This record gives sequence, structure tokens and C-alpha cells, in this order.
Amino acid sequence: MEKTLSSVIIKKEWDIVGARQAGRKIAIDLGFGSVDQARITTAISELARNIYLYAKHGEITFEKVYGVRKVGIKIIASDRGPGIREISSVMKDGYSTSGGLGAGLPGVKRLMDEFDIQSDDHGTKVTVIKWARQ
Amino acid sequence: MNLHIDDHQEGDVTVLKLSGEIDAYTAPQLKEKLLALVEENPTVHVDLARVSYMDSTGLGVFISALKTSKEKEHALKLINLQENVYRLFNITGLNDVIDIENTVRGELS
Amino acid sequence: MSSLKSDISNYKELLSQYLESRDEAVLYQAEQFSKQTIQQNISPDEIVNEHYQALQELIPNMDETVKDSFQFLIETMISYGLAYQEHQVLREKQIELRSEIGVAANMQETLLKTQIPDYTTIDIGVKSVPAKEMNGDYHHFIRDTQGNLGVAVADVIGKGIPAAFCMSMIKFALESFSDNQIYPEWVLDSLNRVVFRNLEEGMFVTMFYGLYDIYTHQFYYSSAGHEPCFVYRSDSDEFEKIDAKGLLLGVENDVIYEQRQTTITKGDYIVLLTDGVTECRMGDRFLKQQEVLDVIKLYADLPSSDIAENVFKHFERLQDFDLRDDITIIVIKRNE
Repeated sequence: MEKTLSSVIIKKEWDIVGARQAGRKIAIDLGFGSVDQARITTAISELARNIYLYAKHGEITFEKVYGVRKVGIKIIASDRGPGIREISSVMKDGYSTSGGLGAGLPGVKRLMDEFDIQSDDHGTKVTVIKWARQ
Repeated sequence: MNLHIDDHQEGDVTVLKLSGEIDAYTAPQLKEKLLALVEENPTVHVDLARVSYMDSTGLGVFISALKTSKEKEHALKLINLQENVYRLFNITGLNDVIDIENTVRGELS
Repeated sequence: MSSLKSDISNYKELLSQYLESRDEAVLYQAEQFSKQTIQQNISPDEIVNEHYQALQELIPNMDETVKDSFQFLIETMISYGLAYQEHQVLREKQIELRSEIGVAANMQETLLKTQIPDYTTIDIGVKSVPAKEMNGDYHHFIRDTQGNLGVAVADVIGKGIPAAFCMSMIKFALESFSDNQIYPEWVLDSLNRVVFRNLEEGMFVTMFYGLYDIYTHQFYYSSAGHEPCFVYRSDSDEFEKIDAKGLLLGVENDVIYEQRQTTITKGDYIVLLTDGVTECRMGDRFLKQQEVLDVIKLYADLPSSDIAENVFKHFERLQDFDLRDDITIIVIKRNE
């Protein structure tokens, strides 16, 4: 069972803050602690900044997800940008450091519990989940 | 130690002034600069007066530059070599294929 | 996660002890604690959080501003934590790469191994040590059908793995030459064509090639841009430089290599070197040629292999056991 809670359009750098705010509010509601909140918002920043820098326009959507005796936050970052040609190469450590992208996608993967990415010529969709420890 | 690379025009001659050491660490930046200059300018002089040390990677750079200059029919000349740098060109036989100004200076302190 | 849990209580324990006693011994334990957490891959943001949690229990009425400031600190630490984890992964990768290079270096050694021919009239000693894992120096012995000795010492400009590939090519070219007495000028001329055709731009080879006629004790030699080599003359107790004109291998297709010859008398020895020896650096200055020869002379009475070994040890020490360049020393001594 999934439920879309909110979504934020990313067009300008300022929208990144809006996405963080929306994500943090949901994280607090779901009972995430301080460190997990910080991890979730950092991941949101990375995803939103990727949209802002490379696709110019996109959207971050938040959902509440239920597992077996657990609840979590699902974040979907989607855009209609040029796409990523070689996903495996951007998922390598050390790839982003030189490009100044910050933590990059490998960082997002580390910050969250589940990570999935799909990309083609028409855009990119990154889906991540963080489970709350209950 | 670093290598400072500086180029300027003296009439028809493009002068590349180097100062420091040419080794495996500094050779790549020299190669990039020198090959571009040789490609674009008909006469290039490389002033090595302030180069106190050069190892074999430096030779590789000058050989590449020589090849480029030959292809383009441009002139490349090395000037003001210190004794130990000249020695390297002499040992390797490159002084016969590269134009090197034969007044060799002693070591500048 | 259970180990992390035990650390959390441990941290709180340590912190409260310290706040009570301000004892250096507790600070020492904190140092041990940090080493332990590094071993367990616990990132900085988690430590800050532990501190925050511990403080909340130790100081029940903590100011709200202070609490919020911890949220702020945790946020700033998240990226450090990521950088730390990335560093860990890259470190593991580095270890992996290093072991792969080790395998390549072993292969290089096996592939390029050359047998030192055994003679009664001459005594041969070799020492070749790479500065890094892969050796950019190469030496090779050939004994022709008449029993004469061919010897090559080479330095590939451009080090590491590409240099190793280049050397295999040179080795197989050398071995493909005929077994009849082959003269240095011919060897270098043929090798030059092979290297010129097959090497990519920016890679060059210097080589000194000698042919020792075992019956007449004539030593024929040519040089392709290599460092001069030397003959120690026993009657004068002096070194004589042996050098011949010739361009580096691989720069031009048609090169004429000069060939010279010299007579080796009893007690004389030939010293072949690469520039790791002659360009040996002592602090800020380079060793003068005469100093190099003086060192070699010190060991003149020893068998060839001991001369090579001792000379190497001497220069290794001069360079504070941190070689800047590969070193190869070959000594060929006439006994009788």
C-alpha cells in the first residue's frame, strides 16, 4: 500500500530547500531520529540538485510505504533531462568527487536503505526508500 | 619542485621560457603547452636557461614536439641549455636531430 | 548494529566519567574509543549523534537552543560521513589494484628472466632493482653458437606497465636474431626498426649492446643513446669510458650506429649501467661521474656479482633507501 503525500517541482536552486522541508516534515511524522532526518534531507538535496543542474526541470515526490511491521519514506526524483548513458559509471565511487557534485548518487545510495535508478534518452527516475526503525 | 612556463613573441619567433625542473610530474603540462605552440607557430625557441634538471620524460616531450614541428614544417630550437641538461641531449644522440644552440652555459646558481 | 549499541552506552559512560573527574586517563580511553569506531566503520555523524543522545541523558534540562544546535551539527557532519565511507571503499580498491600490479610485476620478472651464461674465462655479475614495482630497466644475455657473449642493457623512457610491454617486445626481437656472431651495430639497427614501427609516440628506449669475443677477448660495443659505460684497466688502476655514437631507439627509422671495440686484458672488468646509477641524487646535488667510479673501485677485488651487489647497496644508502629510478649494474670481469 502506497500513498503519495506531496510533491515538489524543481526548477530553480531555491526549490531544493522546499523539497528538503517537505521531506523533513514527513520524516519527523514517521518518527525518524535526528541522524536519519539529516540523511534523508541530504539525499533529497543530492537528488534535487542533480535535477536542477542536469535536467533543469523535474519533480520530487514523497510517499509513505509500509513493509512487514515497518513504515518508511519513499522518494521519487524524476526528470525529462538527457538521461544518464552509463549508469554503472556514475555509480562508481570517486566519479562525482572530481566533478564537484558532492556526495553524488553513490552517496544517496549509502544514505538510504533501498535504491533504484532508471534512465533513457527521455529522462531519469531515481527511487529511494528509508525505513524507520520501529 | 615546480616548472614555470611562460611564452611571448619576439618578432617572428615565439619564445617559450621555462624555469624549474622537468620531470615526470611537470612534463605533462610542458607537453600540452609546447605541442600547441609548435603546432600553431612557424618558429618556436625554447629557452632552458633556468631549467636546472631534466629527466628522460622531458626528452620524450621534446621528441614529440620535434615530430610535430617536422610534420608542420615548422622550426623548433632549444636555446641556453645548462650543462647537465645539454649532456642528456648529447648522450641520447638527440643533439643530432634537434636544433640546439651550441653555446652551452654553465650552471646558473 | 549490536556493537554500535554497546559503543553508545560506552560513550555515555566515558563522557560522564570525564565530566566528573576531568581525568587524563579517561581522555586516553576516548582516544581508544575513536580507534575502535573507525575500525567498525562508524561515521562522524553517528558519533555526534551519540554525543547528543548522551548529553540529553546527562543534562536533563538542556537548553532548547543547544539541542537545536546539535541538529545543525549533525546536518553538517552527514557529508563528512559520506566522504569517509567513500574513502574506505577507495582504500580497499587501492589494495586490490596494488595486488594486481604485484601479479603483473611477477609476470614481468618471469617473462623477462635471462640466464647468466657460465664461463670459466670471464665472471659475470648483475644487480637490477626497480624503483617502483615494475622495472623500466632491462638486461639480456645471449650466448651464440660459438660461445661468445652478447649483452644488452636498456632503459625504457616511460615507466610502469607500458614499459614492461615494450620490454617484452625487445626481448623477443633480440631472441629472434640469428645465433651466429651478431655485431652490436647490426643488433641496434634491427632493434631500432622494430621499436620505431611498433612503439607508440612518446616511448623510447636507450640501449648499450656489447659482444664479448670469448677467444680473442675483444669487446665490441654500440650505443643507442645510452649512458657511457666503463672498462676498469688493471694495469693503470683507472677507468676508461666506453661510448659510441647513436640515437635513441624508436625516434627515426634510419639511424647509423657506430661500433667500436676494445681489448680486455686479464684483471680488467667492464661495467654497464643505467642512469639510475649515474643520475643518483644526493640531497640537492647529483653525484659526479668520478664519485660513482670511485665507489665501484672500492670493490674491485671482489667477484663480479659482489661488486654489483655492493655498488647497489652503496647507492641505495646514498638515496636514503628510496630509489628515484630503476638501477641496473652489470659487471663482466676477465679472469684468465
